[in-house]
Amino acid sequence: MSQRKVLQGNIIIAKAALAAGCDFFAGYPITPSSEIAQYMSKEMPKMERAFIQMEDEIASLGACIGASLAGKKALTATSGPGFSLMQEHLGMAVMAEVPLVIVNVMRGGPSTGMPTKPSQADMMQARWGTHGDHPIIAVYPAFSDEIFSETVRAFNLSEKYWNPVIILLDEVLAKAHMDVEIPDPGSYEVYWEKTHEISDLNIYDRNIGENPPRIDFFHSYPIHIDSLEHDAHGWPSFDAKTVDKMQRLRMEKIYYNLDDIIKYKEYFLDDAEVLVFSFGISARAALAAVKMAREQGIKAGLFQALTVWPFPRAALQERFKKTKKVLTVELNMGQMKYEIERIAPPDVKKQTLLRANGLPFSPGEVLETIKEFVK
Amino acid sequence: MMKYEIRYGAVGGQGIITAGALLVDIAVEMENKFAIASPTYTAAVRGGPTKVDVIISDEAIDFPHAQAIDFFLCTDQKPYDIYKERLKDDAIVVVDSHLVHELGDTRNWKVYHVPIINETKVGAGNVVLTSVVSLALTQKMTNVISYDNMVAHIKRWAPKGTVEMNMKAIEVGMNLIK
Repeated sequence: MSQRKVLQGNIIIAKAALAAGCDFFAGYPITPSSEIAQYMSKEMPKMERAFIQMEDEIASLGACIGASLAGKKALTATSGPGFSLMQEHLGMAVMAEVPLVIVNVMRGGPSTGMPTKPSQADMMQARWGTHGDHPIIAVYPAFSDEIFSETVRAFNLSEKYWNPVIILLDEVLAKAHMDVEIPDPGSYEVYWEKTHEISDLNIYDRNIGENPPRIDFFHSYPIHIDSLEHDAHGWPSFDAKTVDKMQRLRMEKIYYNLDDIIKYKEYFLDDAEVLVFSFGISARAALAAVKMAREQGIKAGLFQALTVWPFPRAALQERFKKTKKVLTVELNMGQMKYEIERIAPPDVKKQTLLRANGLPFSPGEVLETIKEFVK
Repeated sequence: MMKYEIRYGAVGGQGIITAGALLVDIAVEMENKFAIASPTYTAAVRGGPTKVDVIISDEAIDFPHAQAIDFFLCTDQKPYDIYKERLKDDAIVVVDSHLVHELGDTRNWKVYHVPIINETKVGAGNVVLTSVVSLALTQKMTNVISYDNMVAHIKRWAPKGTVEMNMKAIEVGMNLIK
């Protein structure tokens, strides 16, 4: 029987990662994510899984890439400053198509900023932090049960699509002690991609939209993994036709599979006059606000993005056919609001509630903004 | 729907964040409620003002910070000044009689002045037991968890060799307000 227990948000992530089969962790502890590394350092050796405390975040992600290529399910956990350091290797993981999971428990930035305060200001960094055109998946749980399920899902998605997956989490939830339902093993999917016996060296050869195979790196032909643009063999190539194909292969393994990757929750949206778009801790304030608004006769609903990248464009556009007001609530100076502006038709009125001073929005503040907006 | 909001304010090191976590443990694991404790997390854990919000409910909790506080316990003036906001008009307020002097507008609060820290030192023998003293005081004043569950949980939770002193702390907490 599954059991409800009390855990800190960071510990829920660590437990879920282990449940998803994570057998390699390399990291450099940083507030407010440190408990993840701390828990892993205690539990992983008992399970004969590898934990390494690295000298910094650059090395941490480097070690994860190596471990993943050796067949491990690799995880690292960090916060803004460490996530910045990881961007170069994040690009390498995308380019070489290496599955791994990065947790970013966001804190106030820029730079070392406010280590102990919540922030949702790494949204665009999660999407565009590393240079070059690249596909990325980022999930963002808000409730305790989602922290578990989205962490498991992050591993599954990374394994399925051979791409790094980022888990974003709020400082508020990372540190809170809360009730959580830990599901029974077997009641949720854990995806294991079988390693492929390769018959030739065309390891990156596949059709557009198809997932790459997981390669048995050390027990098969010697294969070449390169951060340079490469051909189907993995060898550097700048041939325009080859590069075009490889770019499209990487992007479209994600964009052909949006139905599998994108997840969101909708509350009270069917007859909503105003759609509140939010995620993480702000979505929790928004949910309370939407319920209060309903009690006062205001037709408000919430769209909570669980997958923030790729952006849940189609689902939102479906809602904008009927709901003509959208309020974006995010703890930053305005990031995801630009995605809403890009996709919402001109006849949809756009409003925002933004702040980046280390204080989460209260339900009352969201409610007041909704009331102003529907006037 | 039963929903109860509690806030503890103190200076870092007094143990109130532990008290909040204990309250949630008991409410969830022994009484099958939904609960969350959201602590401040700053360098203040080493001496500055700290607080923890605890919400206990029959239903899943939307927002993890207290919005309408039923019970506020505070053991120092500075956290009192900072964290007395969002209290209900009829909140129960317990302050340390030696360390909190200026209350300002107390609206319709039921205010109790008790020497929490001093009685913990003298009665229970160690100031680190403020966590358990505060927990017991909360149990008595709010009944938000049961006395029996509290005792059973603390017996299980107390580190080896400290059960007796923790039981003493419960006794001190239960007798602070007659």
